[in-house]
Amino acid sequence: MIKVTYVAQDGSATTIEAEEGTSVMQAAVSNDLDGIVGECGGSMMCATCHCYVDEAWEERTGARSADEEEMLEGAAAEVTGRSRLSCQIRLDPSLDGLVVHLPEEQL
Amino acid sequence: MALAPLDEEITLDQLSADPYPIYRRLRAESPVLRVAATGRTLLTKAALTKAVKENPELFSSDDPHTPMKPAFRAHTLMRKDGEDHFVERKAISKALTPKMIKSDWGPLYEQMAEEYVSRLPRGETVDLFSELCGPLAARILAHILGIPEANDEQMQRWSQVLIDGAGNFGWKPELFAASDAANDEMDALFGELEHKRRAEPDGSAYSVMLNADDPIPMSQIYSNIKIAIGGGINEPRDALATIVYGLLTNPDQLAEVRAQEAWDRAFEEGIRWVAPIQVSSRRALEDTELGGYDIRKGDTVMTVQASANRDEEIYEDGENFFVFRDKNPHQAFGNGPHHCAGAHVARRTVGKIILPMLFDRFPNMSLPDPQAVIWKGFGFRGPINLPVILN
Repeated sequence: MIKVTYVAQDGSATTIEAEEGTSVMQAAVSNDLDGIVGECGGSMMCATCHCYVDEAWEERTGARSADEEEMLEGAAAEVTGRSRLSCQIRLDPSLDGLVVHLPEEQL
Repeated sequence: MALAPLDEEITLDQLSADPYPIYRRLRAESPVLRVAATGRTLLTKAALTKAVKENPELFSSDDPHTPMKPAFRAHTLMRKDGEDHFVERKAISKALTPKMIKSDWGPLYEQMAEEYVSRLPRGETVDLFSELCGPLAARILAHILGIPEANDEQMQRWSQVLIDGAGNFGWKPELFAASDAANDEMDALFGELEHKRRAEPDGSAYSVMLNADDPIPMSQIYSNIKIAIGGGINEPRDALATIVYGLLTNPDQLAEVRAQEAWDRAFEEGIRWVAPIQVSSRRALEDTELGGYDIRKGDTVMTVQASANRDEEIYEDGENFFVFRDKNPHQAFGNGPHHCAGAHVARRTVGKIILPMLFDRFPNMSLPDPQAVIWKGFGFRGPINLPVILN
């Protein structure tokens, strides 16, 4: 199991344990976490699973694809250099302990 | 395993009049059911509808015999899969992002909503459905798409004719004759506007598609605009009418929505309660199984998001309109690659602009006779009238 911590706008943190191979979005949605919607179910079509990868984890989560970059233009909250669609981050052992920050809004 | 049971009792008329008691029974007794009247296998549980929509490799949107083809005179992105769908969708979705809606278009929508709401008469009974919900949805969409030269009547008529044609499973020639005539009108207008939208880029869908670095073919640009006309008027119209009905028939909730300014939650609840687009079709590409029954390659399943949105496994008291639910993971905008590209636009225009404005201008709006409201539709659903007194 791999741990992911989601930090909300008010600073409160929730840590979820998820199976290897699941996405950061799926881990959040299947645990009913507020702040990640993932309405399209991970098809990269809705930009409602936007998150900001914590600075310490930026390199390990890798770069955004061109399609993801384009879809992020549709995010409701401000997009920064650390913005990712959480459906595009797959969990593997190297990401155990990952920290992501949640945006102000997804819709 | 066996094929799903076959039902020969349920009629399209029953589904159109009020499908919800039927869906409630099917969820409990037979969530995978071949319904003879529809020629489809109906899926009425949320887990099943979601699983199908999120597995396009197994459940294709492509239907070689879809009436959509003649209705739109095109094989549209709604009936494509994979990269073909993605490329076409990407071409138009740039014009539909929250940023675009907020920064570029927000003030214009505010102004239009203001104009349409202001012209409603106070103190008398008004059919809000025909006087506001439809025309305002049409006006906003005409601007988003880059065809504001089309008037409200044209936009609404085209939308209805395209929808009727797309649902023409009985292949009635008169419905295709009507969609042919509408296509001729639309093609003529798009042709007239092409030069202007190219020369003066304005962020509208037509302009964005025409001026793209690597534009999609002209035929696809046309069919994308037509899909948006078919899918972008009746749905926000029906959503708005449904939400207004829900709030006016639940005054306590309306008071709380006002107090909390929870218009966005009212929007989500309205489209959960009565999804404007109630069903979708997907074709099995391989022999498979769903809910313990065999689904044969080539069979068409129908995901009933209207029913998924009231599934007892997800919702307590899902049959009723209740804005302040803890969670509302509804499927009104669909799931998977075909998740509604207009979702952001609908949420921002209906949920953030029109609803609060309407209740602000007419704080004592009332629905004297809720029984007078007629609900209709199996594929698309909403009230077809909404006689309110505006005060």
